[in-house]
Amino acid sequence: MLSTIPILAVILLAPALGAAVLCVVPASRADWARRIAVAATSVSLALAVWIVLDYDRTAGGYQYEVLIPWIRPLGIGFHLGVDGMSAVLVLLHALCSFTGVLISYAIKERVKEYYIFYLLLITGVFGVFTSLDLFFFYFFYEMAVIPMYPLIGIWGSDVKEAVIQRSRHSASASMAAAPHSVVRFSKEYAAMKLTIYLTAGAVIALTGLLWLYVSSGARTFDVVALQQHLGAFPLDARRQRMIFPLLAVGFGVIAPLWPFHSWSPIGHAAAPSAVSMLHAGVLMKLGSYAIIRLAMGLLPDGAVAWLPWVAALCTMNIIYGGLVAMAQKDLKLIIGYSSSSHMGYVLLGIAALTPLALDGAVLLMFAHGLMTALAFALVGHVYDQTHTRYLPDLGGLGKSLPFIATCGVIAAMASSGLPGFGNFVAELLVILGSWDRYPLQAVLAVLGVVITSVYMLRMVRGVFFGTLPKTFTHVQDTQTSFARLPYLVLVAVLLFVGCWPRPLVRLIDVSARPFISTFPRPPR
Amino acid sequence: MNWPTVAVELALCAGVLGLLLADALLGPAKKQAIWKLALGGVLVLGGVLWWQRPWIGQTFQPMAAGQPMFVLDAFAWTFKWLFLLTMLVVILMTRVFTRRSGANVGEFYLLLYSALLGMLVLVSVHDLLLLFIGLELLTFSLYVMAAYLKTDARSIEAGLKYLILGSVSSGFLVYGISLLYGTVGATDFTTLRDAFATGQMSLVAKAGMGLVLAGLGFKVAAVPFHLWVPDVYEGAPAPVVALLSVGSKMAGAVVLLRLLYSVFWPVQAMWGGILAVLSAATMLYGNLAAIPQTNIKRLLGYSSIGHAGYLLMGLSTASPSGAQAVGYYLLAYLLGNLAAFFVVVVASQAVGSDRLEDYDGLSRRSPLLAATLFVGLLSLAGVPPLAGFTGKLLVLLATVESGRMWLVAIGAVNVAISLYYYLQVVRRMYLRPPATEGSPEARGTGSHTIPVDALTRAALLALIGGILLVGIVQEPFLRVLSAAIRF
Repeated sequence: MLSTIPILAVILLAPALGAAVLCVVPASRADWARRIAVAATSVSLALAVWIVLDYDRTAGGYQYEVLIPWIRPLGIGFHLGVDGMSAVLVLLHALCSFTGVLISYAIKERVKEYYIFYLLLITGVFGVFTSLDLFFFYFFYEMAVIPMYPLIGIWGSDVKEAVIQRSRHSASASMAAAPHSVVRFSKEYAAMKLTIYLTAGAVIALTGLLWLYVSSGARTFDVVALQQHLGAFPLDARRQRMIFPLLAVGFGVIAPLWPFHSWSPIGHAAAPSAVSMLHAGVLMKLGSYAIIRLAMGLLPDGAVAWLPWVAALCTMNIIYGGLVAMAQKDLKLIIGYSSSSHMGYVLLGIAALTPLALDGAVLLMFAHGLMTALAFALVGHVYDQTHTRYLPDLGGLGKSLPFIATCGVIAAMASSGLPGFGNFVAELLVILGSWDRYPLQAVLAVLGVVITSVYMLRMVRGVFFGTLPKTFTHVQDTQTSFARLPYLVLVAVLLFVGCWPRPLVRLIDVSARPFISTFPRPPR
Repeated sequence: MNWPTVAVELALCAGVLGLLLADALLGPAKKQAIWKLALGGVLVLGGVLWWQRPWIGQTFQPMAAGQPMFVLDAFAWTFKWLFLLTMLVVILMTRVFTRRSGANVGEFYLLLYSALLGMLVLVSVHDLLLLFIGLELLTFSLYVMAAYLKTDARSIEAGLKYLILGSVSSGFLVYGISLLYGTVGATDFTTLRDAFATGQMSLVAKAGMGLVLAGLGFKVAAVPFHLWVPDVYEGAPAPVVALLSVGSKMAGAVVLLRLLYSVFWPVQAMWGGILAVLSAATMLYGNLAAIPQTNIKRLLGYSSIGHAGYLLMGLSTASPSGAQAVGYYLLAYLLGNLAAFFVVVVASQAVGSDRLEDYDGLSRRSPLLAATLFVGLLSLAGVPPLAGFTGKLLVLLATVESGRMWLVAIGAVNVAISLYYYLQVVRRMYLRPPATEGSPEARGTGSHTIPVDALTRAALLALIGGILLVGIVQEPFLRVLSAAIRF
């Protein structure tokens, strides 16, 4: 029965339909808004799980395809389809958005507007992961970026960032300098910075995509058709080397490739918890996914020429991001910088051009997405209870928040790459897979694991252990099993993938191996 | 003579007379309802235009010998629909607007009609003299309307500035026409085109071409002929600014399309590069200067300069796909800008000013107004799934095809720049709470909900729907436009 309906279109349109229905729901009925959002994302989640189970691993390639000609004169079609790599990411996004909607129950004001923007964001991200057409890829990509502005601007919170002493003097008007080398960023600043960075990146990438479309001479925006055409009539290697950086930098902004990352930790920190979950959990993966699918898939020669640069820059992500995370005091900023550090591993795995490393990169996108979503959800709960995310103000919450503390320790262990979690498997694959080609980077990546465990353990100690400040005697743990559901879902999937990664790795490998085999052997 | 080809224009002349009579004969109480006549008139014009289909492709020749002055080709016919649509929305805006200003509303609709006549003639012109007449008809009506608020000094100033700079531009145009006539000996497009096609045009004729293009550059507000825009936009009544920014700009762009793609087509190597440079300057100037604005009408004025840059970018490609992209861009710009100005009209009636800070918390005071402005501005910025995105995409694509990658890069960067200041308005509407204190008049109306009557509500929803439709289901519109934009 399920084979007769366009599953991907339903996954994609369920949240969009939810947003449309919400527009006519009266603003006073917050409970309806929540139920509609839960219903819409449950549909997507159920179908995403079905796709991951049902994907034909022996056949491989793109499956569940939907193809509707859209703008025929230009060769644009509404083409959906997933391969092993994108199926995993669709599942990741479905999990994060479902749990995110549940975590959003904490939102109390302007609930209807919140869910409209949130569901539009969810639709956009599903669209990117499932689109096989350059036009719609960009269409959904930009559609996912714009709702972030009101989501952060309205429901977010201001950020305190620790900075080195020197930069305090150059603080501009938008950041009022506070004592002790802490800079406050308003949520409006964070939201605007994020939107403009991502849009600027998107239009750079768009320029590259249009250039690619015109240069190919195929007059089609269809990724599959374009790939076939370019396989038969490869683009001039020089032209490829000119277009590749546009795509790599354009999509690298969201990945977030150092030095274009600076929007991301502030954006994560200013956003409301459920938005940070999607943002760090999924949105950043759009960049690395776009680099795999479009930049590398369509421009193999350009990729071989430029990927060593990506490998060099992502080491900066890993080490620099980790060191900055160590210096932070705001819980969300710690996780934010840690995300940009961990995305360095993903980019390293991509740059290595081996099947093993690419398997690891995609698996890490999945595992890191869940881990970060869990961490932001937990910080959200702590913030709701204590009204602070400032590490020195917190402590001893483990006794009064046993459930949250347990989940927090699990998230920290997962993030530090302890065996038993998906992150360990994925990082191991990345490091092993990139060892041959980039030994120096691989060694530095191992060092990054150590840095991660330092700040993660310090954060766990600072929040959950030690003495409880007197002001926090009223804090409450999650009360109902319904409130615990999102945390439990995320922890369960993380542990499952850590203990039995084989099914997912096989699913990714079905697509990653043929993908890598199309590249010329890199020179040693 | 082929009268059915000018049926719409003739009907409109009758409409002008009808409104004149109604204004003279109706009592003051009934004059408030004169908008119904004007609105009904536009609907009738739509009927006449639909009836004209069999005559598409025919021409109108006032004199038996000689070339046609007026053509009703698919291009003109298609764009006449867009002008009628613009007028329909502007009349609905004027209805809201005149509720306050009171007397003499009849004249206002009369001027709207004569401006419409100018636009309808312009899109069909096939002769430089008729082009001049159409343009003057349009701009004279706009001069008067810009200064319509006789008690408001800013409105008078706007009218005067527009008059002076507009006259200068008409001077350019007429001088250019005379130079062209002097060298070619004719003013009709066919003869001119043939003369340019010989490839032996003197410098004088080329100067004439430059002056004609400069005169039209004023109409579309392209750098360096943009200086009148901010002040006129700020001072003139909002419905007039809407007409100015949509109707007048579209008329200018349509005439440019016709001139560049037929008469001046043989010398495209000459104007392509010049337009590309002007386009880059226009985009950068308009979008960067919009950033510090604190008045919504001024902001939209600078933004409209930025959009003129995109129009020039499409024109500069000198390719059919570029011309079609300009057509789509105009459609998207029309919807987005009309939506934005409609909100400005309604909101400024309720708030009593056009300052940006009075848009604080608009989403609480009227969710529909805020949503319309949100959708309109984001469409202007070029965000999917809204109309403006497809327009920008087509323009950029045509420019990539033309090989000017530097211009594509500037156009792409301007998307991000324009998003910045459009989001500043969104920030005020959605992120800020409604003002509770401030100037005395703001205090009176500070945090009340803004009433929106049923007809306005329907118009706003229709505009939102149109923006979404043109942004999501592109193919039918693209097909119609590419069938029409062929020379």
